[in-house]
Amino acid sequence: MAVSVASHGHDAPHDDHGGHDDIIYNETRDMRLMGFVLFLVSDVVLFSSYIFAYIYLRNSIQPNWPPIVNGHQLPRLDTAFAAFNSVVLFGSGVTMHYALENWKHANKGRFNLFMFFTILLGLGFLGGQAYEYAHAQIGGWSGNIFGASFFTLTGMHGGHVAVGVGFLIALWIQAQRGVYTQSKFFGLTAGTLYWHFVDVIWVVLFFLFYLW
Amino acid sequence: MATVAPGVPTGPYHAVLDHIHPEPTSFIRKYIFSIDAKVIGIQYMITGAIFFVIAGMLAEIIRTQLLSPHGAIISAATYNSVYSMHGSAMVWFVVIPLLTGAFGNFVMPMQIGARDVAFPWLNLVAFWIFPVAGVILFSSFLIGAPDAGWTEYPPISLQGPPGTNLWCVAVFLIGISSTMTGINFLVTMYKMRAPGMTFTRMPLFVWAQFATTPLLFIATTALGAALAALFIERVFGVPFYDPKRGGSPVLWQHMFWFYSHPAVYIMIIPGFGIISEVLPTFARKPIFGYKMIAFSSVAISLLSFSVWAHHMFTSGMVPWLQLPFMIITMVIAIPTGVKIFSWMATLWGGSINWKTPALYAAGFLITFTYGGLTGFFLAAVPLDYHEHGTYFVVAHFHYVLYGGSIMSMFAGIYYWWPKMTGRMYNEKLGQLQFWVTFIAFNATFTPMHWLGLLGMPRRVATYDPQFQFWNQFATYSSYVMALATVLFFYILFDSFRNGKKAGPNPWGARTLEWMVSSPPPYYNFKKIPAVLAAPYDFGNPLPYLGLDAAPGATEATPTSVSHPVPTY
Repeated sequence: MAVSVASHGHDAPHDDHGGHDDIIYNETRDMRLMGFVLFLVSDVVLFSSYIFAYIYLRNSIQPNWPPIVNGHQLPRLDTAFAAFNSVVLFGSGVTMHYALENWKHANKGRFNLFMFFTILLGLGFLGGQAYEYAHAQIGGWSGNIFGASFFTLTGMHGGHVAVGVGFLIALWIQAQRGVYTQSKFFGLTAGTLYWHFVDVIWVVLFFLFYLW
Repeated sequence: MATVAPGVPTGPYHAVLDHIHPEPTSFIRKYIFSIDAKVIGIQYMITGAIFFVIAGMLAEIIRTQLLSPHGAIISAATYNSVYSMHGSAMVWFVVIPLLTGAFGNFVMPMQIGARDVAFPWLNLVAFWIFPVAGVILFSSFLIGAPDAGWTEYPPISLQGPPGTNLWCVAVFLIGISSTMTGINFLVTMYKMRAPGMTFTRMPLFVWAQFATTPLLFIATTALGAALAALFIERVFGVPFYDPKRGGSPVLWQHMFWFYSHPAVYIMIIPGFGIISEVLPTFARKPIFGYKMIAFSSVAISLLSFSVWAHHMFTSGMVPWLQLPFMIITMVIAIPTGVKIFSWMATLWGGSINWKTPALYAAGFLITFTYGGLTGFFLAAVPLDYHEHGTYFVVAHFHYVLYGGSIMSMFAGIYYWWPKMTGRMYNEKLGQLQFWVTFIAFNATFTPMHWLGLLGMPRRVATYDPQFQFWNQFATYSSYVMALATVLFFYILFDSFRNGKKAGPNPWGARTLEWMVSSPPPYYNFKKIPAVLAAPYDFGNPLPYLGLDAAPGATEATPTSVSHPVPTY
């Protein structure tokens, strides 16, 4: 039986015909979807808080941005490289979309292919971020408020991407082990939602740190 | 759902409602790591009561210190830690978990006719974070407890003792627990209501929990962000709040109060819900303005997101922003006033049955209104300039937090105690406990208004000798409050030993939790009832179909149609 919040019982008093588990699955899937979306809303607030902090510090404390630290003007971030890395992340969003679509159409081979590329691109984004962190000349995490906001926000986003990669790998293994069927695949839906959520957050961060 | 009568709208979620879990048999799964919302609610209540006693003792240390103008017992540094921990513990580890986790878990699923919450395992995890976080919080005393007040404003908190880090971790954890509870409750209320229970047929306690959930999973996250930033600034030296390094202390205040103002509504809206259940039951009258009370909770909840900066009028804010924050704060008095007048109209002309919960509800009306009025004063910018940081503020928030939240919790505990335990408490002692609490509470906190108006600052271990009389008066009154609390716990223990059997519905109430035996069976309802109307039409037949007498219940519907009088 699929994982479900209310499906441990074997002594349901009525409705014990064949479709009972399916009905329960569908109902609990709706609940879990709602719960998961609310969790994402809560996560949006987490990012919004730090985005607010960044805008607040940038606007009201330091009119010149990037700030001057000890008489030294900090450079802007490498927009071209970040744009390339963004394309990598958005590409993984596209492949994830097709992975889910192919699952819905019972196309297991293509599902595997797209999952592989999603995970690969996700790891590629993280690698790009590590490269960028190593080469950013903005005084490190604890050096000044630019480094503090940049590394905190993008680091938190990178942490979400890393968790997402782990999530996708787990889903992929589950799919190989036959946990999901063509009609019961809530985990894949949640994984896709989460992955798109991480993409959308990156759009905002990209604008705030590289284009503004 | 064959049990639903013609004309009762049925939602698509009834197979889940019809499903009965097997009851666990081992002690550990039944009482320690239970996934039953009722057990989790009682676990919250016991844990919260323990923290209430500890935080109350801290309060008595504060009051004892203030017996003498020069500080009677402890050093100024220790005093700072004591009031910081008192506030932190009372807000995050007593009032919020009790009103949402305890009452919400015990009462709400039964009131909507469900067997459990939507995610029982999430509920289990959310509860167990709570005692762990509490132990972390109080263990900060071992390495130097936080000393910048419960608000922990930087830059003082940046220089605070090492325990401040533990404080960050503990409050962050309890915030995660709140977020889980908020998501869990919202999905439960949205998806798992009994057939026929439309939104405008939900009991008002459920409405109150419904209005509270967005605060729990939206505002709490902002607090988590602020705490994490404080933690990494203290531990890794990352500049957010330190003005010497380009950060801004006011940024903390914005992030903190964006959570903490909604948090004061987390601490009162469920209390409104309790009062809305208690008053009609004991006035034997339909509640006045059902929809107004329900919608005003939601209005308060939404407005509460746009008033946080009224805590910061003196912190240095653009002057033109002060006016909208002042006005929106005052606007909140409108939905709150709607509730107060609806409750008064509910009592009006009723044959009020003055049992202890009703006394507490009436006491709540008086003290909460008083606290709300002083809040209205403080919202006015000019008056706030004068009163900010004085005992007037202390008096104000104790009137809303003790006179509002804690009074409503007393009402709720007395009200649902028979349902939780199956036994009545000693009514005479309960009423005595109310009167002692009510009088001693007012005697403790009323003088603080005067002290504040005269300029006595809060959070200082010593004071000008001219304030000594009213400080001593407040301190001795607070000892009486402590005695009343001891009496309260005695009443509860006494009820286990000598309490009469309560039966399913000792108060003759009409919401669904009273339609099952006391204490309720594991699965709440053998058959999920169908709901035909809102539950407050006293004098009319019960608006439920298909109620099945649970095992152990002598009567399924103890309030008979022709004699709607209590059966205790």
